[in-house]
Amino acid sequence: MPAGDKWVDRDAGPVVRPYALTGGRTEPASGAVLDVITVIVASRRAREPDDWMELSPEHRRLLGLCRRPVTVADVASTTGLPLGVVRVLLADLITQGRITVRAPRPAGEEPSAALLKEVLHGLRAL
Amino acid sequence: MGSAPSDDPADIPFAPFKILIAGGFGVGKTTLVGAISEVRPLHTEEALTRASVGTDDLTGVGTKTTTTVAMDFGRLTMGTHLVLYLFGTPGQERFWFMWDELSFGALGAVVLADTRRLGDSFPAVDYFERRGLPFIVAINCFDGAPHYDPEDVRIALDLDPQVPAILCDARERDSVKQVLIALVEHVLASKIKNGSSAQDLANGSRAGVTAQAPPPQPS
Repeated sequence: MPAGDKWVDRDAGPVVRPYALTGGRTEPASGAVLDVITVIVASRRAREPDDWMELSPEHRRLLGLCRRPVTVADVASTTGLPLGVVRVLLADLITQGRITVRAPRPAGEEPSAALLKEVLHGLRAL
Repeated sequence: MGSAPSDDPADIPFAPFKILIAGGFGVGKTTLVGAISEVRPLHTEEALTRASVGTDDLTGVGTKTTTTVAMDFGRLTMGTHLVLYLFGTPGQERFWFMWDELSFGALGAVVLADTRRLGDSFPAVDYFERRGLPFIVAINCFDGAPHYDPEDVRIALDLDPQVPAILCDARERDSVKQVLIALVEHVLASKIKNGSSAQDLANGSRAGVTAQAPPPQPS
């Protein structure tokens, strides 16, 4: 194998089977990595039926799951696709303006005392 | 949509939060997650771009595949908009790339321990201590396992005095519920102790929990 010893980048195309869906890309085009519980939802534009024409079947499938707010983990779990693949595909849709990211709180910020109390209340009521 | 305040799905209130369930192999993480929530598969891969660059030889791509790691993933809706996500993560060090990501912004963690193999809990305890993520130790009482006083476990694991160590039965929903309550109480207590509660209450609206959050208190 001539290029055997070289690390191949995204230009080389698919190298690992699950990433065939992303054209071999293992990183989101935007460079931003979505947290597993980042909430995403289809944008107003993506709710127009003819907006989907140019999309790949996988992008359509993911977009269909985002009609209501969902998390990245929800999408990965429902589709059975690895998180890395889902992130790349979702980043495409975000870049295209078909999906918007809703941050309940700045990423990585500790939950507030108010949220903790609410969670406690919710758990006790289970 | 009718009576909804807005017909835009983007406005549906949704406040997700995550809790990590860590522990050694076979300690009962899947059982615990399954006792309180619907467990669904969630796969991740040892990311080529992060973990393996420079170490993985892709010469034999035909035979070599990346490692797909399955997590125990549980989802539980509480009330109208709170959604609890549980992530059961493998305890071995080579999975820490997942932990780094999962602990980011997490509410806290539960280290599930088996008294027959307490040593398996060390990496998780070490990790959360270093990371500064609040955690509790839940000792899974397996049938036939020696019954320890939680205090002995605390000493064996060299836990800080404020870290709770409690007994549980990972098969029982109510027991798991008590574990999660103990964790949230611990996180809340640490927060109040650190004097940040007033600040956080004032910032409640920023956390997206305005629906049931108390009104901001003038400080």
